[in-house]
Amino acid sequence: MITKIRKRNGDIVDFNPQKIQDAISKASAAVADEEISPAQLKELTKTVVAALPAGEIPTVEQVQDRVEEALIAADFAKTAKAYILYRAEHAKIRQSEGDLMDIYKELTFAYAKDADIKRENANIDADTAMGTMLKYGSEGSKYFMDNYILPKDIAAAHINGDIHIHDKDFYMLTETCCQIDLLKLFHNGFFTGHGCLREPNSIISYSALACIAIQANQNEMHGGQSIPNFDYSMAPGVAKTYRKEYVKALSQFIQIRTGMSWEDADALCSRMMKEIPLELNLASTEEFGKKMAEMLPAHQRENGFQEISSETVAAAHKYAADEAYRETDKCTYQAMEAFVHNLNTMNSRAGAQVPFSSVNYGTDTSPEARMVIRNLLLATEAGLGDGETPIFPVQIFKVKEGVNYNPGDPNYDLFQLAIRTSAKRLFPNFSFIDAPFNLQYYKPGDYNTEVAYMGCRTRVMGNHYDPTKEVTCGRGNLSFTSINLPRLGLEAKGDLGRFYEMLDERIDLVVRQLLHRFKIQCSKKVRNYPFLMGQGIWIDSDGLTMDDSVAEVLKHGTLSVGFIGLAETLKALTGKHHGESAESQKLGLEIIGHMRKRMDEESEKTGLNFTLLATPAEGLSGRFVRIDQKIYGKIPGVTDREYYTNSFHIPVYYPIKAYQKIQLEAPYHALTNAGHISYVELDGDTCKNIKAFESVIRCMKEAGVGYGSVNHPVDRDPVCGFTGVINDVCPRCGRREGEPVTIERLNELRKKYPDVPLHYDCTH
Amino acid sequence: MTNMENKTVCCEKAIGEGVKFERIRRITGYLVGTTDRFNNAKRAEEKDRVKHCI
Repeated sequence: MITKIRKRNGDIVDFNPQKIQDAISKASAAVADEEISPAQLKELTKTVVAALPAGEIPTVEQVQDRVEEALIAADFAKTAKAYILYRAEHAKIRQSEGDLMDIYKELTFAYAKDADIKRENANIDADTAMGTMLKYGSEGSKYFMDNYILPKDIAAAHINGDIHIHDKDFYMLTETCCQIDLLKLFHNGFFTGHGCLREPNSIISYSALACIAIQANQNEMHGGQSIPNFDYSMAPGVAKTYRKEYVKALSQFIQIRTGMSWEDADALCSRMMKEIPLELNLASTEEFGKKMAEMLPAHQRENGFQEISSETVAAAHKYAADEAYRETDKCTYQAMEAFVHNLNTMNSRAGAQVPFSSVNYGTDTSPEARMVIRNLLLATEAGLGDGETPIFPVQIFKVKEGVNYNPGDPNYDLFQLAIRTSAKRLFPNFSFIDAPFNLQYYKPGDYNTEVAYMGCRTRVMGNHYDPTKEVTCGRGNLSFTSINLPRLGLEAKGDLGRFYEMLDERIDLVVRQLLHRFKIQCSKKVRNYPFLMGQGIWIDSDGLTMDDSVAEVLKHGTLSVGFIGLAETLKALTGKHHGESAESQKLGLEIIGHMRKRMDEESEKTGLNFTLLATPAEGLSGRFVRIDQKIYGKIPGVTDREYYTNSFHIPVYYPIKAYQKIQLEAPYHALTNAGHISYVELDGDTCKNIKAFESVIRCMKEAGVGYGSVNHPVDRDPVCGFTGVINDVCPRCGRREGEPVTIERLNELRKKYPDVPLHYDCTH
Repeated sequence: MTNMENKTVCCEKAIGEGVKFERIRRITGYLVGTTDRFNNAKRAEEKDRVKHCI
């Protein structure tokens, strides 16, 4: 009779036959068409126990061997196979357990410059205390997910590189991202945790609260935050500042011109603001002046107050309007400068990073909105304190025919300024509302129907769950998981039928995993997201109270399947990628089209929003190929580089004309409804060739690209402050990398270039 | 001073000894600061990029 068993760690514990029965029962449950009755289960367990050597203490491995043999002997072949797989997966996971402490060692004792794991996401500074603490949490959480939460086959598929569950460390916690409607949030003020913030009353406060909202929401989600309507959101702030500045200037003029006391002048001005039946703003100011010239003198006369002529009122209005415009413009620049500076410096997530922020704009044609965007672009062009290129917010200029695309369009000047700014600073990127798959939602003047992109490329627009709410605001991605497409290309060994078969299996697995995660997300309550849900930012969460479930409102979000390395996949299947052969392009579109079709079918089946993502893959770009190199070796064009090519891109190393690259990539934008981006790499200093830059953007628009940008080198010499292209020698101060420049020379340069940074002696 | 890397380099007469140029590149739709912070795969990808003529 066996009474003890030796565990893997060497401990000897009591032997419990029930555990054998449970393991067989679990394996049996995984097989649909091979039932084992309770009596058979008992019998099998007995057989296993009887087969163990009497008088010895067996090991766990020995017991498992006997289970396999017993299942095969009793002709339960399928259950035996499931059991063997289950064992293998556990073995793999145990292997990863051992690695966790090694990871902690590396996180603790290596610098980011030497440890790739600390540079997985470039936005986190993993050398800092909080950055390291965040990584401990993240790596520990991934371990917990693999061993205790994920279904074993899904954990194994992630570990072996078939799929990649993004943000796996947040699996039990929250969603990816959200598009915040600031107008709605600001209306009547909001609450971030300790005290209420009143509705802001100036453009300075609007921009400050915009940062607060982004920061607060970022701390409740694992991805980024986007403002889909930044111009519309800030415009009321400009109007409020304009009104304040107008009243101030008007009162001052009246005091000086008429000798009226400041109390009386102020009272008179606020009286006029109330009584004139027209709201003052940049567009109505002329009309407002006329009305005041009629009303003010009469008001004074009728009340027996000091007489003021209508000529004086007209002069006062002109002064006030001009002065208010200048002051408001200045304030708006300061507000936008502060916005950009704040988003590059304010902390989130325990101080390890700044919020991942994006702003979309370009379509609001009101004078206030135009003032906001002009100043945002100018502040971006000017750069940070020492002229550095701001890396946040990601800025996205929404290109739209009839609004800003052609000469004569009301915001054409802003489009031109956006191009000039991007040619110097890499931002803004450009999104295209006229692309048919974006245009189908568009209603002129309704920002909620204008497509917006998260800076990384995520797009949330269609809504299968609720077709009456195909809108941008209040929605976002719930989670996404990517498929290792090149591996399928290799495994297919030229058999396309086999490729699709495996692709479908992989999609099935990912869909099952996304739903597994979704179920966990649905178990949360509003109190788990006091800002996102508690302040009504997420769509339809307004009506919920703290203990309500978020399950229903989450359905407005998207569940996305992503992919990486279409180019390598095509190489593996046909020997040529889609830049090299028209047939490969055709096949590429078929593959991605098939994936999209599967997403639409899943949406239909579940009533949820399954979408297809051209995965950004910052961390993933190297992970899959590292694993695949171990399995398949270095296969030319497939696994012979350190990275797999981004989503559907033509490989970065392949020489191709900009126009052709855009034409080849554009059709994939229509298929990847969860997000996409195309880049063109331009040489040299694009500031000196704005026309070429613009021609690329126009080409993207005409080709039906949804979201695109131009990459060009942006170098900076921190010593003399030069920004542009630096090869070996800085064109401004003439130094090579690492060489010093004399103070005299810098002082000389500063006379010519005011942006030369001031260097303080270290003894100061 | 502009950043930590450069903090130790000032001296009486000249500035910039050992100071690198900052190189900003886009990787996945966003910017991440200088290429020092890229992971190895992204560094390799950035190195391989070719320019596209118009």
